[in-house]
Amino acid sequence: MISRRQGLLLIAPLGLVLAGFFLVPALMLLPTSLREYSPGTGFVPNVWTVENYLRIITDDYYREVIWRTLGLGLFVTLACLVMGYPLAYLIARGPVRWQVPLILLVVFPMLLNLVVRSFGWIALLANRGLVNNLLVDLGIISTPLKLMFNLTGLMIGLTHIYLPFMVLMLVGAIRNVPRDVEAAAATLGSSRLHVFTAVTLPLSAPGILAGSILVFVLTISALVTPRMLGGPTYKVMATLIYDEFMQLLDWSSGSALSFTLSAMAIGVIWLSSRITRRWAGMA
Amino acid sequence: MSALTFEGLGKSYGDIEVVRDVSLSIREGEFVSLLGPSGCGKTTILRMVAGLVAPTRGRILIGTEDVTSLPPNRRGLGLVFQSYALFPHLTVYENVAFGLRRRGVTGAELDRRVKEALALVRLDTYGQRSPRQLSGGQQQRVAIARALAPHPRVLLFDEPLSNLDAQLRDEMQIELKRLQRNLGITTLFVTHDQGEALSMSDRVGVMAKGVMQQLATPEDIYHRPATGFVAGFIGKPNRLHGIIASRDGAGGSLTLGETIHLSASRLEHPAGTPVDIIVRQEAIRLLGPNGPDSFGLPGEIVLRSFSGARVQYVVRLAGGVEFVAEAASNGPDAALAPGAAVRLAIAPDQVFATLRDEAGTP
Repeated sequence: MISRRQGLLLIAPLGLVLAGFFLVPALMLLPTSLREYSPGTGFVPNVWTVENYLRIITDDYYREVIWRTLGLGLFVTLACLVMGYPLAYLIARGPVRWQVPLILLVVFPMLLNLVVRSFGWIALLANRGLVNNLLVDLGIISTPLKLMFNLTGLMIGLTHIYLPFMVLMLVGAIRNVPRDVEAAAATLGSSRLHVFTAVTLPLSAPGILAGSILVFVLTISALVTPRMLGGPTYKVMATLIYDEFMQLLDWSSGSALSFTLSAMAIGVIWLSSRITRRWAGMA
Repeated sequence: MSALTFEGLGKSYGDIEVVRDVSLSIREGEFVSLLGPSGCGKTTILRMVAGLVAPTRGRILIGTEDVTSLPPNRRGLGLVFQSYALFPHLTVYENVAFGLRRRGVTGAELDRRVKEALALVRLDTYGQRSPRQLSGGQQQRVAIARALAPHPRVLLFDEPLSNLDAQLRDEMQIELKRLQRNLGITTLFVTHDQGEALSMSDRVGVMAKGVMQQLATPEDIYHRPATGFVAGFIGKPNRLHGIIASRDGAGGSLTLGETIHLSASRLEHPAGTPVDIIVRQEAIRLLGPNGPDSFGLPGEIVLRSFSGARVQYVVRLAGGVEFVAEAASNGPDAALAPGAAVRLAIAPDQVFATLRDEAGTP
C-alpha cells in the first residue's frame, strides 16, 4: 500500500505544474471579472462590480448562448453514447481478431488535425457541399438543406470528433462487466435483452458516466470546430469568450463568462455522477 | 426416473475435442460430481447443461424434455459459480428475488419465497445489505439462495467452494450436502477437489481429457479405480517411473529402478510400455525387517513426518527408489525412526500404471 505521504509525493510534480500554470492564472482572472470595462479606455479605475455576472444571467443574448451550449453538450453526449455503445460492445465482446483493427479505426480520426477534420465537414455540409449536391442531384430535395452555421452542423461535427473518447471509455467499462454475472442472469430466466438492460448496462455505468462527462466537458468548451462550422455569428460559449477577449478586448466580460462556463461544467459533472450512482446502485 | 441425461455429449473447438462422447444419467434427487484436473472438460459439460455453451454433438435432457437447443433462460436450472457472480448493483434481497421476478412471481408470494430461500442459507437478516458488505462465504450462500429460490429442476455448481478458505470450505461442504438432502434437489457438482467430490456425492464421475474415466460411487472410485488415471488422481499416490515387464492375463509385472519388481492385478497397456507406476501411500503396509514371512520390499526409513492423524515415512529401497508410506499416528508403526530397516508390502490390486503423459495433477 502507498502511504498518504508517498501518494502526495507522487502527485506533487503534476500538482505543482497545474497549480503554477493553470490554477494561479485562472484565479488571477477572478479580479478581472469583477472590473468594469469601458470600451476604448479599458478598466474603470477603482470600480468593483458584479455587473459582468449579472449581465450573463439577465442579457437575452448571453442566456441564449448558454442554453445553446448546454443543449449542444447534451445532444452531442447522447449522440456519442447512442452511437458509441454498440460499437464499444462489439469491440469488447466481438471476435478477438476484430478488436485491434476496430480500435485502430476508432482512434484513426484522432491522428488527423482538428482543423483539417472540421474543414472536411465544411466540404461535406456546405450549401454547395457534397451532401447537399448529392441530395439535390438525386432529386430528394430541391433547395439545399441548411447544415452549417446552425446547431445541426455543430452537432454533426462535434459528435464525430468526440465519439472516439466515448468509445474508448465504454470499451474499458464493458470489458469490466463479469461474464459470469451475465450468465447468472441468463440462467435465472433473463432473455438476452433483459440481461443487457438489467445487468450489462448498469454494470457499465461507471464507463457511461466517465465517457459522458468527458464528451460533455470537451463539447461545451470546444472552440475550433464551433468557430469553423458555426461561422462568425452562430456562437457558443467558447467562441463568445474568445471574441470578448480577442475582438472586443472586454476581458471583464470574457473572464466572467469563463468562470460561468467552468461552474456549469462542474455543476453538470456533480449532478450526473449523483444520478448515475443512484441508478447503478453504486451509492 | 432420470432427472438429467446426457446422450453422447461432445464439444469441439476447431480440431480440439474438449468433451468426448459423455453419456450419463442422473436420478431425481441424486448428487453427482464431475471431478478432474483443469482442462478435463468438466466445466464445459456444466456450461452445456446450463445452455451457456452449445454442444457439438449429442443431446441433453432434463426429465424427458430435450433442452439441447433451448437458451439458458428457458431451462429452469440453478447455477452457482466459483466467482459467486452476484449482482453487485442489487441488494441481497433483490439478488434472490431476481429469478422469481423473471418467472412472474410478485407481491406477498415473492416476499415469502425470498425470505424462505434466505432462511435456508441462514441469512434471514441480511436482505437489505449489498453483496459487497458480505464475506466470501456469505456471498456464496446468497448465490445458493438465489439459485434455489425459483425451485430449479436441477442445481448446478461450478467449483463453488474453491474461492473459500479451508475451514470455511469444510463447513460449507456439510451445509451444502445437508441442504441438498433436505430439499431432495438433483445436483450436478463440478470440482477439481477430490475431498469435496468424495464426501458430498452419491456418484462421482472422474474425467480426463474430455473423457469420462469412471462413473461410480465414491467408495468404488477410491477402492476400485477403473483406470490408472483415476488411481493416480484420487488419494495420495506415489508416482514413480517404471516399465511394464510382462503381461499375465489382466495383470502383469512392473519393473522400477534396476531391481524392484511389483505385480499388478490390472494393467491397460502391453509389455514394454514406459509408465508411471501408481501406489497410494495408504495402500503400503510397513513390516518389520525380519518377520515370520520374509516377503515384501526391503528398505530403510529416511524421513518421518507427523501430520496429526497420520504419520508419513519416506522409505528408500534398493537403487535409491523412494516410496512414501503412511501409518496411523496412534498405531504400532507410528514411532519408527529414520535409519530403521523395514519391508514394504504392496497388494497387487493396489498397484496401477498409467501412461506418462496422462499424469493427472490434482
